[in-house]
Amino acid sequence: MATPSDRAPFKRRSLFKAAGLGAAGTAGLPIVAACSDIESGSGSTQTTEGFDFLPTYKEWPLPVEPDLVGEPPNHPSAFTSYPEPVQAITDLPSGSGSYELTVPCWGPAPAKDDPYFAAVYEAWGGTKLELRQGDGMTYGDTAVQWVKADEYGDGIQLFSYMTGSFSNFQETVVNKFYDLTDILRGDIAERWPLLAAIPSAAWGQAVWSVDPEDPDTAGIYAIPMNYSGGQGNGILARVDLMDAAGIAMPTTVEELLDAARAWSDDANGKWAFAQLDWFIGQWFGLGGTDGWNWDPEQQKMVNNIERPEFTEMLTFRRTLWDEQLIHPDVPTGTLDAAALQEAGQVLFTQDNLVRWNDFNLKVKRGEIEGEVAPLPPLAANGRTPTVAMGAGIGGWTFLNKDLSREQVEEILDIANWAAAPYGTTEYQLLQYGVEGEHFEIGADGTPVFTPLGSEIVQGPVHYKALCCQVETFLTGDPDMVAKRFEYDASIQDYAMENPFEGVRIEAPAEAKAAGSTLWDQQQDIAFGRAELSSIPEMVETFMANGGEDARQYYTDAYKAVHGE
Amino acid sequence: MATLQSTAPPDADRSPARPVVRRKRTVLQRLRHDWPLLLLALPVVAHLSVFHYWPTAWNIIAFLDYSPYRPFWENPFVGFAWFERLFNDPYFTPALLNTLKFAALNLLCMFPLSIALALAMNSIISVRVRSAFQSIVYLPHFFSWVLVVTVFVQVLGADGLVSNWIMDGGGERLDITSNPETFTFLVWMQWAWKDAGWGMIIFLAALSSINPSLYEAAASDGANRWRRMWHITLPGIRPVIILLLILQIGGILSVGFEQYQLQRQAVGYQATEVLDTYVYYQSIVGSQGESFGTAAGLFKGVIGLILILIANNIAHRLGEQGIYQKS
Repeated sequence: MATPSDRAPFKRRSLFKAAGLGAAGTAGLPIVAACSDIESGSGSTQTTEGFDFLPTYKEWPLPVEPDLVGEPPNHPSAFTSYPEPVQAITDLPSGSGSYELTVPCWGPAPAKDDPYFAAVYEAWGGTKLELRQGDGMTYGDTAVQWVKADEYGDGIQLFSYMTGSFSNFQETVVNKFYDLTDILRGDIAERWPLLAAIPSAAWGQAVWSVDPEDPDTAGIYAIPMNYSGGQGNGILARVDLMDAAGIAMPTTVEELLDAARAWSDDANGKWAFAQLDWFIGQWFGLGGTDGWNWDPEQQKMVNNIERPEFTEMLTFRRTLWDEQLIHPDVPTGTLDAAALQEAGQVLFTQDNLVRWNDFNLKVKRGEIEGEVAPLPPLAANGRTPTVAMGAGIGGWTFLNKDLSREQVEEILDIANWAAAPYGTTEYQLLQYGVEGEHFEIGADGTPVFTPLGSEIVQGPVHYKALCCQVETFLTGDPDMVAKRFEYDASIQDYAMENPFEGVRIEAPAEAKAAGSTLWDQQQDIAFGRAELSSIPEMVETFMANGGEDARQYYTDAYKAVHGE
Repeated sequence: MATLQSTAPPDADRSPARPVVRRKRTVLQRLRHDWPLLLLALPVVAHLSVFHYWPTAWNIIAFLDYSPYRPFWENPFVGFAWFERLFNDPYFTPALLNTLKFAALNLLCMFPLSIALALAMNSIISVRVRSAFQSIVYLPHFFSWVLVVTVFVQVLGADGLVSNWIMDGGGERLDITSNPETFTFLVWMQWAWKDAGWGMIIFLAALSSINPSLYEAAASDGANRWRRMWHITLPGIRPVIILLLILQIGGILSVGFEQYQLQRQAVGYQATEVLDTYVYYQSIVGSQGESFGTAAGLFKGVIGLILILIANNIAHRLGEQGIYQKS
């Protein structure tokens, strides 16, 4: 028998060892695999109404009445003149604490030694609240790590749309942030009259439960940000360029496509759009929460992607790409759409309607030329337009659970100060800064930002979002306010119903992950990387990987709100 | 057979031979003796402990339904449930295949390119030309991926320099930086520009260790340039080539992150998703949580370890040193 060579590529003993390990592993797999199921990330449903522990609402009389009275919150009242501000809080608390608050910041962070901050500290009683700015573009994602590592100072501001980055936001909230219930329960009007005048609906949206199944574990875990309604986002059109080109304001999706074709000239660097994706679902009647809507005819929960209108929407987006009606670099996601529109290279931008006002202000300051206005509600194929609008808070200010009760009360003192509405000196200082340094009263009697004011006060988020104001109004340039008020009035009849009103839903983790991939796939189709014919396969994959479970989850949530 | 015998008288004074017993030093004695070396090693040990071994121990959460908000011992053990979810995820396999594709491409195209650059560099005699050549191929390594990708978009993008030249000449818009079909080529170009020069440095160091007299002897024996390269240069740097190859095979599933993440939106996830971006989007900024991401990372690590052991074993069998000297 030949002696096994040392240089043989495989030794018999090694093979036996490997086989033995493999067998042991294979045998062991079912045993360990059967240990326990994954229960985390299974989603949570939280009602936001009907609590008995919220601050008792007590009206705080407004110092001045608005010039234009709307129907808040979806159609806010407005001021077309600037009233002489009055002091809302005469009995100032004295605070000596020093705190740090993490906030998002889009653009360069303002200088921390500006007199604005010293003036605000002095005005609200001496408490120092230093800001720790994080890049607004990536804030939601990085906030997850800051919160887990407890590296956000004494508080953190999170906008509602940022919570999707947390694998389990409900669990995060109840474990990492201060439970304010005992401090804010009942009648708080004596110490914090403005916090008591915040709508109960806003406080309700700051409630989470330690155990979502048990209503008795619910509590207030945040200070709500501004409570408002109406249409937040829209498509801004360069109406001056449309007029010059003889293009009428479109009233349907088909007319919009014609306008885009008439304007675009790829070879000469002119495109109708710089970006068009997350907004346009409503043009095709696609709404709901996370794409889920109750279909009364089928008596079941249906996702937008299962509806024929979804294919219509993607066909529309694909047409924009194929016919070069959208900027060729749009897939990179790095275009500055606002700058392109200001330069006259694109006609329409997908924006927050705040930019309508910003554009107008730039024109008034002589920085740019032109005029923008939002497109009216649109619909395709002769359907009635729908507009997504919802009354709610924009986000929350969460406080660190390691703070003492006295420290929390001191921060609530300044939140109470920051809740002062339009027409108060508190509001004026917070929103416009120090007169003569950050703003001047213009010829029309309204505050006009100085360059320093634009840089330090107007742009960044900071204390303006610290707390919900008693009431939110349309304010600013009188012409702009009048236009916005009129626009808000014109869209009220098209408001889309929210099937999950009064309930906050956090989808199961697998459904969220599948939804994220679904979005990537939509972008693939819209930018010519995949074909429209792949939609059925895309739907099937989504449903098989968390979609069907999500359907049941949303059905249960819907029935909990509306009954069987 | 004669036996040599000593005529010298026996040494009466010499004591009988005693076996030499080497006393084992105590820990304290060893510490006293080796403390400078231990002190030197201390920062490295501390660094490895804090940033490598301690995090490695946390791989255990791949087998737990982990939540950072409850005490560690209260996290239920779920066995391989996260791995099961990982392998059943329809987007995992494409990410793995993309990773392997880019790794293979890197291994086959970039590795030889660095060697070729080093050989070319080594053959340049003029110091000035050599310095200029070195700077051109070497400096891009210090550019961040953000800069590299931006330069490519500005030059080769749909609205970039080349595209606009072509359009001015009546041609069609260039579509390289957002086309999934050309992404592999784009990635290769970016690697070649950014990293080929860096890879060259190590080979250059290996080349400098070859005895020049070997070349002189070979030249006087009539060996031309190619023969000298084949019979002297390449064998001279073979141990380094093998070592780097093994290390590269070990990290085959780590093809990078920023390069793919930065271009993911422009090119689409199907062409760009690799394991690292998959973990990032599913676990770090996605909703799947820490355990899922750790399971994916552990899978990557185990595959890497197996590959590196196989490659090292093959190197030993081929008579090379590998990553360590076989005793």
